[in-house]
Amino acid sequence: MATPKLEWRGVSKRFGANKVLDGLDLSVAEGRSLALLGRSGQGKSVTIKVALGLMVPEAGSVLLDGVDVTHQRERERRASFAGIGMLFQGAALFDSLPVWENVGFRLINADGVPRAEARARAIEALGLVRLAPEVADLYPSELSGGMQKRVGLARAIAGQPSLLFFDEPTTGLDPITAGAINELIRDKVTSLGCTAVSITHDLHSARTIADDVAMLDAGRIVWQGSASELDHADHPLVRAFVTGNPAGVE
Amino acid sequence: MPHSAPGGVIGWVNALGRAVLDGVAAVGRVGHFAARGVAAAVTPPWYPRQILGQFMAVGFLSLPVVGLTAWFTGAALALNIYSGGDRFNAETVMPQIVALGITRELGPVLAALMLAGRVASAMASEIGAMRATEQVDAMFTLSTEPRRYLIAPRLIAATVSLPLLTLLADLIGVAGGMQVSKLLIDLPYSIYITNTVDFITRWDVESGLIKSAVFGFIIGLMGCYHGDTAKGGARGVGRATTSAMVSSAVLILAADYLISSIFARL
Amino acid sequence: MRAHWGETLMGFVVLAFAGIFLAYALGVTGRSSTGSYEISARFGEAGGIQPGAKVTVSGVKVGAVSSVTIDPKTYMAVIRLSVDESVKLPSDSTAKITSDGLLGGNHITIMPGGAADDLKPGGEVANTQGAVDLFGLIGQVMRPKSDAAPAAASSAAPAPKAATDLPEM
Ligand SMILES: Nc1ncnc2c1ncn2[C@@H]1O[C@H](COP(=O)(O)OP(=O)(O)O)[C@@H](O)[C@H]1O
Ligand SMILES: [Mg+2]
Repeated sequence: MATPKLEWRGVSKRFGANKVLDGLDLSVAEGRSLALLGRSGQGKSVTIKVALGLMVPEAGSVLLDGVDVTHQRERERRASFAGIGMLFQGAALFDSLPVWENVGFRLINADGVPRAEARARAIEALGLVRLAPEVADLYPSELSGGMQKRVGLARAIAGQPSLLFFDEPTTGLDPITAGAINELIRDKVTSLGCTAVSITHDLHSARTIADDVAMLDAGRIVWQGSASELDHADHPLVRAFVTGNPAGVE
Repeated sequence: MPHSAPGGVIGWVNALGRAVLDGVAAVGRVGHFAARGVAAAVTPPWYPRQILGQFMAVGFLSLPVVGLTAWFTGAALALNIYSGGDRFNAETVMPQIVALGITRELGPVLAALMLAGRVASAMASEIGAMRATEQVDAMFTLSTEPRRYLIAPRLIAATVSLPLLTLLADLIGVAGGMQVSKLLIDLPYSIYITNTVDFITRWDVESGLIKSAVFGFIIGLMGCYHGDTAKGGARGVGRATTSAMVSSAVLILAADYLISSIFARL
Repeated sequence: MRAHWGETLMGFVVLAFAGIFLAYALGVTGRSSTGSYEISARFGEAGGIQPGAKVTVSGVKVGAVSSVTIDPKTYMAVIRLSVDESVKLPSDSTAKITSDGLLGGNHITIMPGGAADDLKPGGEVANTQGAVDLFGLIGQVMRPKSDAAPAAASSAAPAPKAATDLPEM
């Protein structure tokens, strides 16, 4: 088997007495799209933040292209991060910067792209998430939650990254926009060959954007399979997700 | 706890020991944060726009409050020399006392205290809010070091701006004293200025500026440190804001005494 | 950066004020002030007089001391006085350093003379009376002999006694 693009090996993370991840093992192959499912508060966001180096696990390691990045120093990590895009659950837009500078942040501050060019590319990225060019000069506080999420998405994909993380990309969006976003993510993977890890609660989204699906519960992956296997899975938690019926889940 | 008498002493010793250890650990954390902040400030990459923006926020926008403070301080100093100092005819040396007091002590300290209130708190709340809303994390994922983008510009701007503001405070403080001298003892402006200039030495002004650079660094450091370590959402940010203000004010006064006593020995 | 016009304007106002004051101060150092003229006077004993000390005529303030320097040739103290334009002093006026009190500083009293012509700006007061060393004076009155003939101290027994009779200051 080829080296996975990204791999979690026995990752444990706790906050005080709250044990969130407990020896989590998971991997994503190059050019695949993984959907991470799980109930609220089970540590899906923490899983991604550990992979990004934003949280340091107590045990285990994270491998990017086969290289252990868990305890990398600043310079090395900047290099590892160059090809990564992340959409945060709460969008996490810089509220002191207008929308276009948010979207073009990496271009301007890390890639040294001239501001005029960064602006043009930011407006282009905004178009991909169905936002009008006029939005570019607004400030994040002037946008609705759904619009902020889309700006966050535009920011994540603006630097042509090869590994993408989406934390609940369609939560809070209307079905039409959500459908467009799902297609955009799908497109990034199929036509550009990106690897994607998306957190979602929405099975319809998962089926659209993901090749593989993993279910996180109690700090471990309790079920993993392809998107098409979802409907026939016999794990009670997956069944409960599919049917929307909490019976059988403690 | 009336029944804790036997264990009371041990409890006290334990608490004291813990407090000392906590204190040492806190100093260590701040020192580590400061060292990394300075390292980021003196090595590339720099973000000129951020540095400029901080100069605007820390330096330029503090001009009114520092100017007003200096004016009233100079004026009040002159007034007190007049009404309290007439016991030994100090009004004849009013310009000299005002100049000395403003340049060596009151200019640097009061400008710094004003900035502790205005700037350290603003930095803490800004960075704290960015932490709480994951903006700092987002910056990491965009290949930009928050330490370089957020912390370094603030440290640079605070350390450089405060001496400049202090220079301005020196000027305006002398002007305030001059105005009061004119009103109270009818001392002509020209003589007031001549006396001030003849009396004051380079070192009087320079020692104040050296102090204020240290104070500026303290303000930037406390603002950034408390913002960066803020925990627990809006409440945490509120606490960080207060801590930044109080700790920078206390550290400024302590550093003032320390530096003054070093200078006194030179 | 979003606009804070009010604050920006205030910043410029403060800078402008400081700039104007600085320009004025730079202009002042070196030239005499308007509305007054300068004269000088030489004293054998300046008695710690400071720039800024009052200059009075008949107890009314008419100006201030603007500088105190030493004439390197004669070792006389040269004191420059800034006097109100409206006060013309006769050329034979006398300048005298007067003490404000036992603990106080000194000021300069000018006793106008009777000459027909006035002192010109930049002129010099011819007659001066330097500061009196008050404590030296007291000492001389109390112990007239001990200063003059220290060797004869034993024969001047009453003098130290008189000194000890003095109330403590
Ligand atoms: N920075 C943090 N400090 C303390 N606890 C945290 C932190 N981040 C997440 N947690 C805890 O970790 C658990 C998982 O959180 P999260 O990964 O956000 O859940 P979700 O699966 O809904 O994304 C929650 O119980 C949360 O309280
Ligand atoms: Mg989450």
